[in-house]
Amino acid sequence: MRLGGKSAFITGGRQGIGRAIVETFRAEGCSVATCGRGARPQDLAADTAWHCIDVRDAMDVTNAALTKGNIDILVNNAGVQVEKNVVDSSDEDWATVIDTNCRGVFNVCRAFIPVMNEGGSIINIGSISGQVADPSMALYNASKAFVHGLTRSIAVDHGPGIRCNAICPGWIETGMLEAGFGLAGNPTAARDDAITRHAVRRFGQPNDVAAMALWLASDEAAFATGQCFTVDGGLTAASPLNPGLF
Amino acid sequence: MKLDGKVAFVTGGRGGIGRAICERFEREGASVYAADLTKTGSLGSGGPGRFVQLDVSEDASVKAALDLVAKENGRLNILVNAAGIEIEKTIEETSLQEWNNCFAVNVTGTFLTSKHALALLRKAAEAEDSASIINFGSYDGFIADPGLAAYCATKGAVHALTRAMACDHGPEGIRVNAVCPGYVDTPMLQSFFSGDGSGGGGKTMDQLQQAVRDVHPMRRYGTPEDIANLVNWLASDEARYASGQLWVLDGGLSAQVQQMRL
Repeated sequence: MRLGGKSAFITGGRQGIGRAIVETFRAEGCSVATCGRGARPQDLAADTAWHCIDVRDAMDVTNAALTKGNIDILVNNAGVQVEKNVVDSSDEDWATVIDTNCRGVFNVCRAFIPVMNEGGSIINIGSISGQVADPSMALYNASKAFVHGLTRSIAVDHGPGIRCNAICPGWIETGMLEAGFGLAGNPTAARDDAITRHAVRRFGQPNDVAAMALWLASDEAAFATGQCFTVDGGLTAASPLNPGLF
Repeated sequence: MKLDGKVAFVTGGRGGIGRAICERFEREGASVYAADLTKTGSLGSGGPGRFVQLDVSEDASVKAALDLVAKENGRLNILVNAAGIEIEKTIEETSLQEWNNCFAVNVTGTFLTSKHALALLRKAAEAEDSASIINFGSYDGFIADPGLAAYCATKGAVHALTRAMACDHGPEGIRVNAVCPGYVDTPMLQSFFSGDGSGGGGKTMDQLQQAVRDVHPMRRYGTPEDIANLVNWLASDEARYASGQLWVLDGGLSAQVQQMRL
């Protein structure tokens, strides 16, 4: 059991990557609590605590930290995207994306760092979009760059007692990916094209990201801090030119 | 065990980091070839893994070593290109021969070993087993340490080669990544601290080592085992979606702006 005796708080565990991390950590002996904006999901394992909170609300988050108490692992996974460029983005879009992806991570880190145990590990879910731009995802891209910057700051300020790293997933098969393809004129063609741009010739699965989170959460990663680790099947290692050109 | 039944080939397998990798791979159930120039390597003693004599900069030597793997196993799951040397000099002080030596081991060595291992890695991938190459870059491939010019340049080359190999061989089922260590407690680090290019400025070795340690957010140097932990993860099936990336493992050193006051 690679996380035996440890306790974790994972934001956004209702579905997708967050749920995969919840399940992976549980399987490795970790005591897990997760949270989301609505009622407890019916298919969530009975031994997993659910906090009905909104990470945008500092009071909600502080109460959760006080209730949950000491933890060893914090995963900031909760995030949203709005598929728009700068000109089309409304104040409401700004509030949605920036308040969740930026303020939410800030709220959770501010509340939980004081109750984290020595040797603790924070894992923020950044994105390749924080390093290279996805078209028509302006606020999302910028919000993930914020996460990467905050990751380095926490590592520098709160080491050596706490490690802090980000995972930058590429295209992972979740509802968010499908929403992205929905923007294309021909979603099926867009999907096929996207796969050929991945060196490993497939999209990622939530478990691929959870495997990296598990490593970073474990004591195996005792020297890893302040880094943004990309898990993207080789997508960003290659030029963005259409592979069909060659 | 994570690497049960897998075949691994580690260059620099008798060095500080390579030895820790061989040891970890064996513990995870892999059958390991420890390839190095000499049986005792930089630490002056034997070690884990089956020793294979190898000069990574010599085409015939590399081919002979991998022919042995082919004969005995017919496939290779994991190639770790850990052989490396450093020249502790500025470019002005570096002779052409030293420059060429540094590139011959760090860059040409990675090229030759990977080139001759590809057919065997492909065999593993075709059998729907995993095939993973792990190169050794360095955080010095991103930012420079003083008096290490040729070394920094070779590591930048390894980073670019890693992405290129990932791009070319990913569709064949071969993942390629580079591990980029920061300051790891090895014979190479001891040599760096005692060398002329370390910027010691009259400080004692202990003062210098403590000052460097204090700049790390983790307040310590890495150990070969820290690096082996990451290499083991990248070699395992858990990392099946990780390819084409440069994995910095430096105790947080490069997450901050320069603030060394030695």
